[in-house]
Amino acid sequence: MSAARFRSRRSAATSLLLPLALVAIAVLVGANGTPSLQGTVTLILCNLIVVIGLQVFVGNSGVYSFGQLGFATAGAYVAAFLTLPATFALLQTPGLPHLIVDAHLGAISSTLIAAAVSGLLAIVVGLPLMRTSTLAIPISTFAFLIVVYNVVANWDRVTGGNSGLVSIPTTTSVESAGLWAGAAVILALAFKWSASGYRLQATREDEVAARSIGIGVTRERLIAFGISGVLCGIGGALAIHQSGVLNPATFYFGATVTTMTMLVVGGARSVFGAVVGALAISVVNELLRSVENGANLFGAISIGETPGLAAIGLGLILLATMIAMPNGLSGGREAGELPWIRRLGSAASALPTRPDGAVAGLPPIDRPANGALRAEGVSLAFAGLQVLAEVDLSLEPGEALGLIGPNGAGKTTLVNVLSGFQAPDSGAVRLDGVEVTGRSPARLAHDGLGRTFQAALPFAELSCLESVAVGAMGMGAGRRQAVAVAADVLTRLGLLEQAELRAGSLPPGNQRLLGIARALAIQPRYLLLDEPAAGLNEVESEQLVAILRSALADFGCGILLIEHDMNIVMPLCSRVQVLDDGMTLRIGTPEEVQADPAVVESYLGSSFLAAADA
Amino acid sequence: MTELGQNLIDALALGSLYALIALGITLVYTVMGMMNFAHGEFIMLAAYALFVFAGLPFAAAVGCALLAGVAIALIAERVAFRPVRNADLSAQLVTSLAVAAILQNVIAVTVGARAQSVQTPAAISESTSIGAISVPNLEFITLGLTAIVLGGLGWLLYRTRTGLAMRAAAENFDMARLLGVRADRVIAGAFAISGALAAAVGVLLVMQTGQVSPTMGLTPVLVGFVAVVIGGFGRMFGAVIGGLLLGALSSLLGVYLPDGLVPFREAIVFTFPVLILIFRPHGLLGGEIGKARV
Repeated sequence: MSAARFRSRRSAATSLLLPLALVAIAVLVGANGTPSLQGTVTLILCNLIVVIGLQVFVGNSGVYSFGQLGFATAGAYVAAFLTLPATFALLQTPGLPHLIVDAHLGAISSTLIAAAVSGLLAIVVGLPLMRTSTLAIPISTFAFLIVVYNVVANWDRVTGGNSGLVSIPTTTSVESAGLWAGAAVILALAFKWSASGYRLQATREDEVAARSIGIGVTRERLIAFGISGVLCGIGGALAIHQSGVLNPATFYFGATVTTMTMLVVGGARSVFGAVVGALAISVVNELLRSVENGANLFGAISIGETPGLAAIGLGLILLATMIAMPNGLSGGREAGELPWIRRLGSAASALPTRPDGAVAGLPPIDRPANGALRAEGVSLAFAGLQVLAEVDLSLEPGEALGLIGPNGAGKTTLVNVLSGFQAPDSGAVRLDGVEVTGRSPARLAHDGLGRTFQAALPFAELSCLESVAVGAMGMGAGRRQAVAVAADVLTRLGLLEQAELRAGSLPPGNQRLLGIARALAIQPRYLLLDEPAAGLNEVESEQLVAILRSALADFGCGILLIEHDMNIVMPLCSRVQVLDDGMTLRIGTPEEVQADPAVVESYLGSSFLAAADA
Repeated sequence: MTELGQNLIDALALGSLYALIALGITLVYTVMGMMNFAHGEFIMLAAYALFVFAGLPFAAAVGCALLAGVAIALIAERVAFRPVRNADLSAQLVTSLAVAAILQNVIAVTVGARAQSVQTPAAISESTSIGAISVPNLEFITLGLTAIVLGGLGWLLYRTRTGLAMRAAAENFDMARLLGVRADRVIAGAFAISGALAAAVGVLLVMQTGQVSPTMGLTPVLVGFVAVVIGGFGRMFGAVIGGLLLGALSSLLGVYLPDGLVPFREAIVFTFPVLILIFRPHGLLGGEIGKARV
């Protein structure tokens, strides 16, 4: 087993301190705190669970949801229904079925059922919503929040309407809230570091690149949305079992702003950030509230009762954070990734290289005898401009085909059509004899098609190892196997030493190589490279040629290479196809193409001839 | 028949109001790429200007409301939104949420958290009969104002230099900048117009309900957002269509919904966009957002 590892493994150990600390705080307060302090801390811990629920979705997907408090509302009402004493239930919720009224469940079972119901609700609501865009999700989840509010506020016979519910058993102790919060932290971290969590984080970093390595954006978002719903439901259920009261506004707009502020101020990308933000804002909030209630500041300045002051304070903090510190207090890092904690546990072992050439832990690629990636008569026009006209192309496994032509010839558009990012107006794409026209990029990646882009599109906040491993995870590999594949690919590309660095911190040349590594990690049968050498220096270009040679030999994949640098195309490609004005001008060996006067005129230019003669 | 005509005019009037909200939101979105949560608070502040200046002649008070709407939009742009102009969509959205929360609570602290009533001229609440149909004057005002705003906006965008700059910026912001369009000016201009539209909506809402409250902007801004989603992001025409559809739906549900379900009208109206998004994930007119740029 390769010893190459995620930085998260080290942070996993140190991050376990976080839930332990929460439980310790709860136990301390439970033993020594006054009842009022215990109540305050319990509510803060319940809020914390909701904020962690928010983090699971928002932090990993990068998409904001304003509807998660709707799941807290759902969880809270379900938990209240299941535990209300019969006499109160008759008065407050006469419309409730007897089965539920007579349930009289305990604290734990009612919380678990509340979690299940709100999780299920999140899946049902998420099914349509997660299909929409990054900007439509915040808006439609906000609509969901208002729908929930509207329903519970008006369904008087069941929910008690606007007057809400009282006399809910107060069973949440500060210790139990601490245990639940600790469990929530562990669940959130486990998700973040699971294959599904990494796939989702990849979509946050770059949605297009994520789709190209086979990640289904909708599916990954839905999974996180469901888990988030479960956690928010737990937070809501525990909170009302502390306060004993619930009304439609308990988890509404104000609570949405508060929890969002906690998450953003702490730093949404990390669970640690969610915890830090929730605790810090809770303390500030308590201070602001005491001012709001007309307390004497430092015994000197006396302020009258001014409701709304705390909310203004929170709003200003949120605004200042967005402007001055968008990554929040934690900088988006987990506790174990903070430099001063890292130093404590830095028994960092060197990463061994693999001596053998085999790709670790993956079955050999099955290669159909007559397989090929083909474009057949592909045509495409943008607003009347013909970009591709009846283009044919054929790429076989194990061969490298150069695709050259002047700017605007349609090279990138052709690659977009082949990889499913663009549907052609007419014509077909066939993969090993099967028509795949119109399949999604993610589906095509699973079918064996890898690609890179003109821009590097790095998963900037992931480490290099994670960036590449997520490619294997996109194919369904588990964490362990994905790390083995990634270490292997990085070794081949000479990037293993950078394995633990942030992908976004690499120089441009290495980011490009990393893009190729990411595409190789899905073990493609066909690899489409869009100007891989752009921006590389001479040394790096030579390195690239060597890498592509070994990719041809070791991985056996067919390579389609769009490249302007003839010094790369000529030695690598057995055939070259020249596109001009959306049409194929010539297909032949590099020598034949170089000798064709029409090609020379349209593309290579007289300077190339002069250089070749010299 | 007359009842149907009556209902249709009601639906059209509410739809126009919603279209005005959606237009104000879309305008800022097209030049800056930000969905402005605080648009509802621009509406609310303009309405409060009407409340504060209720002593003045009504026309003068409306003028003050208009000024207030434009002023708060410009201030918010300069103080809060300019620093996050280059941040991603989500960050901008959260920033505008913060601005919304601040404005809402500033009014709650300074003026009061409870709803307050505002006197409007009696003529507004009267009705005019056309044949058998009796149309509230307010609906005439709403329809007329919407027509004027649409015409004026059309003129501004398609017949003036400023409009050309705005459309260019909406099409491709960086390119427009390179060609000499002054970004600060275009964005500030969009906010000013958006603020004026918000003020118009604020005034109409006060005329309709006769009161103001700090949270009165919440539902309108959601209505506007949903209309924008339905219409497809960043399209003026889509925003108008989305607003009209949503308004018509809300108005007709109020009439034709069985009694037991009337309290849930709002819930049903806001479920509607979800149904549309199931079939058309990018809105009726298909916006650009979420489409891959490769």
